[in-house]
Amino acid sequence: MEKKQVVSRRKFLGTAGTIGVVGSIGMSSLIAACGKDKSGKNLPELNKLDQAPDGEVLKAGLVGCGNRGTGAAFDFLNAGPNLELVALADVFDDQVQLCRGKLKKNKNVDIPDNMCFTGFDGYKKLIESGVDIVLLATPPHFRPEHLAACVEAKKHVFMEKPAAVDPVGIRSIIGSAKKAEAIGLCIVGGTQRRHQRDYLETYRQVQMGAIGDIVAANGYWLQNHVWYRTRQEEWSDMEYMIRNWNNFRWLCGDHFLDTHVHNIDVINWFSGGQPISVIGGGARHRRLTGDQWDFFSVDFYYGNGVHSHSMSRQIDNCANATAEHIRGTEGYTNCQNTIFNPDGSIKWKYKYPEDANGNETTTPKVSPYVQEHIDLVTAIRTNQPIVEAEELALSTLTAIMGREAAYTGKKFTWEEISRSSMRMGPSEYVMGPVDMEVVTPVPGTAHGQF
Amino acid sequence: MGFKHMFSGVGKRVKKCWTFAGSHYRFVFFIGLLSGIVLLLFSHKFVEYTSTDSSCEACHVHPQATSSWKLSVHYGNTSGVIVHCVDCHLPPDGIKYLTAKAKTGIKDIWGFLLKNKDKIDWEAKSTLEHAKKHTFNASCTHCHQNLFQLDLSQQGVNAHLDYVNNPEGKVCIQCHLDAGHYDPNALHAHNTEFAEMPDESREIYTQPAVVSSFESFTEFIPKSPVSFEMITVPEGIFTLGSPEKEALRDEDEGPQRRIKISKFFMGKVEVSWEEYMAFFSQTSAEGKSETSSSGNGEVDGITGATPPWGAPDQGWGKETRPAITMTHHAASVYCQWLSSITGKNYRLPTEAEWEYACRGGTETAYFFEGSAKDYSEEKFWNKIFGADTSIIAGYVCYRGNIPNKTQKPSFVKENPFGLINMLGNVAEFCSDWYSPEIYSTYPTGNRVAVNPKGPASGKEHVIRGGAYWSDAKDVRSAARENTQHDSWLLTDPQIPKSIWWYSDSKHVGFRVVCEWDGE
Repeated sequence: MEKKQVVSRRKFLGTAGTIGVVGSIGMSSLIAACGKDKSGKNLPELNKLDQAPDGEVLKAGLVGCGNRGTGAAFDFLNAGPNLELVALADVFDDQVQLCRGKLKKNKNVDIPDNMCFTGFDGYKKLIESGVDIVLLATPPHFRPEHLAACVEAKKHVFMEKPAAVDPVGIRSIIGSAKKAEAIGLCIVGGTQRRHQRDYLETYRQVQMGAIGDIVAANGYWLQNHVWYRTRQEEWSDMEYMIRNWNNFRWLCGDHFLDTHVHNIDVINWFSGGQPISVIGGGARHRRLTGDQWDFFSVDFYYGNGVHSHSMSRQIDNCANATAEHIRGTEGYTNCQNTIFNPDGSIKWKYKYPEDANGNETTTPKVSPYVQEHIDLVTAIRTNQPIVEAEELALSTLTAIMGREAAYTGKKFTWEEISRSSMRMGPSEYVMGPVDMEVVTPVPGTAHGQF
Repeated sequence: MGFKHMFSGVGKRVKKCWTFAGSHYRFVFFIGLLSGIVLLLFSHKFVEYTSTDSSCEACHVHPQATSSWKLSVHYGNTSGVIVHCVDCHLPPDGIKYLTAKAKTGIKDIWGFLLKNKDKIDWEAKSTLEHAKKHTFNASCTHCHQNLFQLDLSQQGVNAHLDYVNNPEGKVCIQCHLDAGHYDPNALHAHNTEFAEMPDESREIYTQPAVVSSFESFTEFIPKSPVSFEMITVPEGIFTLGSPEKEALRDEDEGPQRRIKISKFFMGKVEVSWEEYMAFFSQTSAEGKSETSSSGNGEVDGITGATPPWGAPDQGWGKETRPAITMTHHAASVYCQWLSSITGKNYRLPTEAEWEYACRGGTETAYFFEGSAKDYSEEKFWNKIFGADTSIIAGYVCYRGNIPNKTQKPSFVKENPFGLINMLGNVAEFCSDWYSPEIYSTYPTGNRVAVNPKGPASGKEHVIRGGAYWSDAKDVRSAARENTQHDSWLLTDPQIPKSIWWYSDSKHVGFRVVCEWDGE
C-alpha cells in the first residue's frame, strides 16, 4: 500500500514535470488526491489510550532542564504507571537544580546528586547512567549530536522540535532515525499535533476526502516577543549565547523553525509530502538581543499549482494567531477540529468530551503533551516501535528551506536544501569566547549594488 | 443369463481389467512417484552440490579470484560468516536463481571446453563494468537488509540515503567493489597517502625552461625532478570536422568549416602522473574545502586539490602513464599553476587547436592510413572475421589492442607533428564547452574562423581523442565527446561533491598547450 503511493506520487511528479530529480532526502509530493482513502479503511484507527499500559519500570533521563524540558519530564511522569525520571543533564548546574527542585516539589521525585550531570558532555554521562528513555529538550542546535548518541547507546527517545537548525544536522537526524528503525527503538517527536486527538480525527476526515483535493494552505504563528536574557558581566560569549539561546540563529534556528515548524509540519502531514521550492522575506526591527528576525512571510510551492503561505512573527501589539488552514476543491478545514463546506457552513466538527455539567469542552480528553509520552511508552511496552524522527526532520528541513529563502531573498529548492552543506554554529563547544560573526541576515543587495 | 448376469460379466471384466491394468498402472505410478522423489531429491542435491564454492571453482578456474575473495570482508570478518560464490554471483532464491544458474553453467562449460583460460584477461573481469554483469544487486540487498547499521558513518548515511531515495542506475558495488574480492585500488574513501612521493634520487630542477624562439623545448617543473616535452605546432588553416561521407561518423562532427590556427606549443604526451603529482604535492592541503575553487594565479596563491577519492591511478601505476580522474576544473587549475611556476602561458587546448594538432595536416579519418570501416568492431564483418588492425595498433591505444587500461607513451608511434597519443589512451579535456551544433555557427565559404573558442557557456566540456576502451570509430581525428559531470560524480558521497576528483571516470586526462607570444 505504502509502496504504491510512492510510485503513484513519482508518476504524478513525472507527468507534472515540475521537478526533474526527486530530492536526495524524503519525497517531494503534491498536495492532491494521491493516497486518498475514501473508505478510511486503510487509515490508522484512532485508538489513543488515556494512559500507557502498565509494565516494567521505565527510567527516563532529561537532557535540557529548561522550561520545556521540565514540562516534558512532568508529561512523561503523567503518562502512565511505573514511569520514573531518574537523571538530569544540562550545560548549567543552576538549570539542573531548578528542575530538580520543581520535580521534588510537584512530583515528589528525588534525583540524587550522582544522577545530575552538567557541562557540554553531561548528556553522555546521563545516557550511560542506566536510563531506558532519554528526553531531549536542549536548544535544537545540539539535537543531532544528542540523538545520535542515544541511538548508538540503544535508548528510546522523546525529542523536542525542531529536529536541527541546519541541513547537516537534518541528515544526521535522518541517519539516526533509520538506524533506530532498524533495531526497533522508539522515537517520538515534540510535534504534539500529530498526537492530538482532534487533529488526528480531522486528518482522518481530510484523508477520506472531506475537502476534496487540496488546493492551498496557510500556516500562522504570530505572537508577542518570547523572552530574552540580558548579558551578565561574568558570562562568557558561550554562556550568554546558550542562556539567551532563543535569540541566536545557530542555537535556535530562528522562530520560523523553533515554533512555526508546528504549522509547517501539519501542512506537510496533511498533504503527505514536502514543498518543491520556496521564496520568502522578512526582517528584524524590534528585537533587542541576538541575531534573529522578527517576522517571516514565506511562500512554499508544493507543485501542481498548490501554494502554502507561512507567516511567523514575534512582535508585541500586533494581530496574533496560531493556526493552519487548508483549502480543498470541496471545502476547507482548520486542521484542528472543523471541516467547512465551500460556502462556510460547517460540514463536520470534532466532538470534544463533555464537562460535569454536560457541556462540550474545547480540549481533547488527554493533553497532547501527555499523549505523546503515552504513545511513546505504549509503543515501547507493546513492542510496536514507532520512529517519528524522520518526519520531524523533513518538516524541520522544510522550515530551514523557508528560512534560508527569506534570509537570502533567493529561491530555494528541496533538492538544493537536501544536499546543502550548510552548518551553523562554532566548530567546538567550550565556555569562553565564541569565534563566529554574529550578524543579522539582510536579503539581496543594496540599491545600485550587484 | 439376464440383464444382471450380463452386468456382472461386464463388471467382472471391468474388475479384471482394472486388476490387470491397475497393477501395471499402479506399478508405473509408483515408479513414477519414486523416480519423481529421487529426481527431486537428486536435483535438490544437484543444485545444492553445484552451488558450493568448490563446485564453482571446478570450472571457474581463477585462483586469483579465490584468493582475493579470501582476503575480502565477505570471507574474513568478525562475524565469522562466509559469503559464498553463489550468494553474490547468482540472484537470491527462486526461478531466477535456477535460470541464472543454468545460464552461467552453460556459458561456463562453453568457456571451459572452447576457451584458453590462460588467455582470459582476469584484470578486466574484475573491473566495475564487468563485475556489474555477474554480481546481482538483489543478492546484495537480500543479505544486507539494513543499510543503516549502527556504526555507519554520516558519509555512509548520506550515500545510503541517496541510494534508498533514488536507486535508479545505482548498484551497491559501485562503492563496494572490494566487498567480495579484495582490491586495494577499489578503496572507497579519501586517499590521504596519495600525495606521498617516493624518495627521489633524481636531480631537482630549480628553474623552468627559457624559451626564446619558436622551437620545441623541454619544460622543467621547478622544485621537482619532472620535465616534459613541448612540441611546436605551426600556424595554418585546416578543415575542422568530418565530411558527411566519412564512415561511422556522428552528426556533431559537422558541418565542416575552414579554421585558422595560430602557432602554439603542445605537450608531446598527455599530462603524466609524474607531472600531475608535482602539482598535487606542491599545492594540495588535506582538509581543504571541496568548495574552495582556484586561486588568483600567483605563485603561492593556487589552492590545490583535496585528497582524492580511492585510487585515482586505478592501481595501474603512475609515473609516465597519463593522469586521470581529475575534473575539468582541476585540469584548468593545473594549467594556472604550471603557468605561475614557469612564467609562461599554459592552458587547455581549444577544440579547434586540438583537432588541428591531431590531424597534423591530414584530412582523412585518422592521421594514418585506413578508415573506421576497416577497424571498427561495430562492422559485422570485422566482428566475426576480425580486422587487420596492424596499422592502427601502431598509433593508438584503443579497444582493439589494449582494452583495459592506459599505457605509457612509448607504446605507440607519434603523429605528423610529433605528438603521441592524440588518439586513444585517454580522452583529453578541451577548454570549449560542448555544443553539438557549434560548427554551424562558424563562417562558411571562403571565410575562415580564427582560433575559435566554442560556445560562451554550457554545462559539459568537450573531450577529444577517445580512450583505451574506445572502439576504432571513436578514435577518429574528428570524433567528439563531452564530459558527463554528474554521472562521473555518482558515487562520491561527500556533500558537496568534490570539485577536484571524479569518483566515476577513469578514461579522461588532458594535454597542455603553451601560447607563443613571440614574433
